[in-house]
Amino acid sequence: MTYQTDVAGRRPHGRKGPLAGLRVADFCWMGVGSLATRFLADFGAEVIKIENRLRLDTPRRLPIYKGVVRAYGHEDPNPDPNKGGLHNNYSRNKLGITVNMKTEKGREIVDRLIAASSVVTENFAPGVMERWGLTYDRLKELCPEVIFARMSGFGHTGPYHEYRSYGPVVQAACGMSFVSGLPGREPSGWGLSYMDNQAAYTNSAALLLAIYQRNRTGKGTEIDVSAVEAGMHMLGPILLDVSVNGRVTRGGHYPTGNRVEHPHAAPHGVYPARGDDRWLAIAVMNDAEWRALVEVMGNPSWAQDGKFATQEARFANQDDLDPHIAAWSRERDCHEAMDALQAAGVRAGAVQNAQDLNEVDPQIAKRGLFFELDHPVIGEARFEGEPMHFSRTGMDNWRSAPLLGEDNDYVYREILGYSAEEIDALAEEGVI
Amino acid sequence: MPNPLERPYADLKVVELATDPGGEMTGYLLAGMGADVIKVEPPEGSPTRAVGPWLKGEEGPDDSLAFWYYNSNKRSAVVDYRTKDGMATLEALLAGADIFLCTLQPRALRSAGIDHEALSRRFPNLIVLSVTPFGLTGPWADYKSSELVGLAAGGPLFMCGYDDHAIPPILPGGNQAYHVAASFAHKALLVALIDRQMNGGGQVVDVSMHEGCAVTVELGNPYWFYPKALVERQTCRHAQPVRTQPAIFECADGKWVYFVLVVAEPKPFANLVAWMDSKGMAADLTDEAYQDFAYRQAHYAHVQGVVECFFLVHDAETMFHEGQERELPIAVISAPEELFEDPHNIERGFFVEVEHEGIGTFKYPGAPYQFSAFTSVPRTRAPKLGEHTNEVLGALAGEAVGAS
Repeated sequence: MTYQTDVAGRRPHGRKGPLAGLRVADFCWMGVGSLATRFLADFGAEVIKIENRLRLDTPRRLPIYKGVVRAYGHEDPNPDPNKGGLHNNYSRNKLGITVNMKTEKGREIVDRLIAASSVVTENFAPGVMERWGLTYDRLKELCPEVIFARMSGFGHTGPYHEYRSYGPVVQAACGMSFVSGLPGREPSGWGLSYMDNQAAYTNSAALLLAIYQRNRTGKGTEIDVSAVEAGMHMLGPILLDVSVNGRVTRGGHYPTGNRVEHPHAAPHGVYPARGDDRWLAIAVMNDAEWRALVEVMGNPSWAQDGKFATQEARFANQDDLDPHIAAWSRERDCHEAMDALQAAGVRAGAVQNAQDLNEVDPQIAKRGLFFELDHPVIGEARFEGEPMHFSRTGMDNWRSAPLLGEDNDYVYREILGYSAEEIDALAEEGVI
Repeated sequence: MPNPLERPYADLKVVELATDPGGEMTGYLLAGMGADVIKVEPPEGSPTRAVGPWLKGEEGPDDSLAFWYYNSNKRSAVVDYRTKDGMATLEALLAGADIFLCTLQPRALRSAGIDHEALSRRFPNLIVLSVTPFGLTGPWADYKSSELVGLAAGGPLFMCGYDDHAIPPILPGGNQAYHVAASFAHKALLVALIDRQMNGGGQVVDVSMHEGCAVTVELGNPYWFYPKALVERQTCRHAQPVRTQPAIFECADGKWVYFVLVVAEPKPFANLVAWMDSKGMAADLTDEAYQDFAYRQAHYAHVQGVVECFFLVHDAETMFHEGQERELPIAVISAPEELFEDPHNIERGFFVEVEHEGIGTFKYPGAPYQFSAFTSVPRTRAPKLGEHTNEVLGALAGEAVGAS
């Protein structure tokens, strides 16, 4: 199948942003890797995603397509590599090339690409880069002062370094799943690969730190990020309750669901709202917020009960308090209730789903978080922006994700200096 | 040129006016790479000092473990920015700073008389890093937030909970809305720092926790962008547009493991069956019929049941290592106290010892990233309230004398 790829604007050109001029030879794949390097591409870096036609990147294969609803585990055995929405989401603003690293010529091409880059990124299972001879020492020969970012589940040393992982495995191993759930039940954990997001953010920050440092000192570095360690680093104060106070969390009444042990907030919960599976979160921290909540609820008589008179009393009597709040909230639209409570100074939030974020939330709309780009196969699609505004810098959203091998001609000819005939031959031999 | 062994932020001065864990974590990430972070606190202390858990259960401004967790390696100066004198001191500190890290929302900024744009004009090299619940602009800019409200309005909460939807969505643990804010704040700051290196000059950077959460929903947005499907929460596994099989298994010792039973791919399934068979527990899964994907798919519930029995009679730790040896992605759902004893974490030296004079030496998490060319600053305890006030104000006075 061929696509019209020479449409205006898809041919790579000079980029804008603080990272313009920085070239990244990007071996990253899967969600976590792709998301880590996307941040660099968003701010102007020339991130060249290196792919293998014979082993498609998972986000290209997952069946997140327009007009078809199925679980991501229900893969199409013969997917169109250019149709996957997840790949489009994760690899916008990047270039894409194909190369078969099992061939000697393929490895030669990649050596030349690394020599023409100054950052190399990867999140393979440990050992893959070594099999291709691409150790840090070798990369330094190709590109002095290179930054070599390695991202994996358990890190590149230690007894588990070869263990398999992906988001939920990382979440289990770092404690993140255990600390989420109702007391006395199995953990509810996470309904997403949260640690794929957070490990990616940690990796992006590590890459930017290394770039910033190289700009200062001229020196490159190797980076080792373990997703499990990134997770333990952000597990929160419970870690110190354990290490300082000797607390044991297993087998007790921890975690505590939507209630929190600290601060002594009450009411503190997720209450039903009008509609199917609609909910409202409320967190009352002090007497002033409680009085405001009672006012918004129309000063019901139950609220005058002495067992709700102080913050400590409310905290101690949450079992009695929560049904009253739920009886009030279940008659109300979650967004209207949120606005009314917030107007009175009460911390409240509609439990928003993706449709709300995209179509209801006036804050996100006003700040323009989501944006649209066209794609030759998928057509117009929405993208998640970066949750930050700069007074004089910005994202440079120039293109949706690359088609498989879309930038072979540009990268091999214009950056690496191969002739058109050589490129044709490489394609014919199955090297690219 | 700086010494290449020097840490990246060694020459950065940061003034932190942070009143929540998101801002405070951001400040700690900067201090951890060498920045001099002066935490400006009102006389009553940062609000985090009033939040437990507490050292030995005793409340006190210097005994909050929440404050300890988020404020390592900083200096604390009491400066009441709500008074005229305090504001003058804050401005004097900002005159010598590279970064002003501030979590105040627009109304609080106005009432304190802080104007980020004006500060940016007055101190052209200053990066004003604002990290707030909803950002500095927009109709919700002054809405109040919390960990629960942040994850609720931001989107992740809808995806988390149990198969039973009579149970509301359940808050994932550990202040993650604030950690999302801190992660994006650090990345945004690095963009501004690199911009300052390349083009000169600071700017105002406005990071929104709400928007950070709204893009930290993994498949949630793509399922809406493409098939227009909403994902539904399931117990300890991915929220999906259609129901999928359970992914956690209880073991003989009462611990749970996370393991996704992949029937689609032949190799992991074969590895699983061989493993079960080695313990005489493969039941009929060794039958040739199961080599056919369609057959496996059609008998998924039976396969699930046999696998549940297999886990139920073995310890979680055994299942973890034996499964991983057979290249199956599996892990024990570890409790916090187990992380400190884990041989892998011990061998990598992840947890570090931090001394609290007169109290004891305690284990803290180490850095989230390792670099061959430089290291993080060894972690030190959070400052006591106002511990460095004299030192910080004395240095300011010294500069004023020097300048006159």
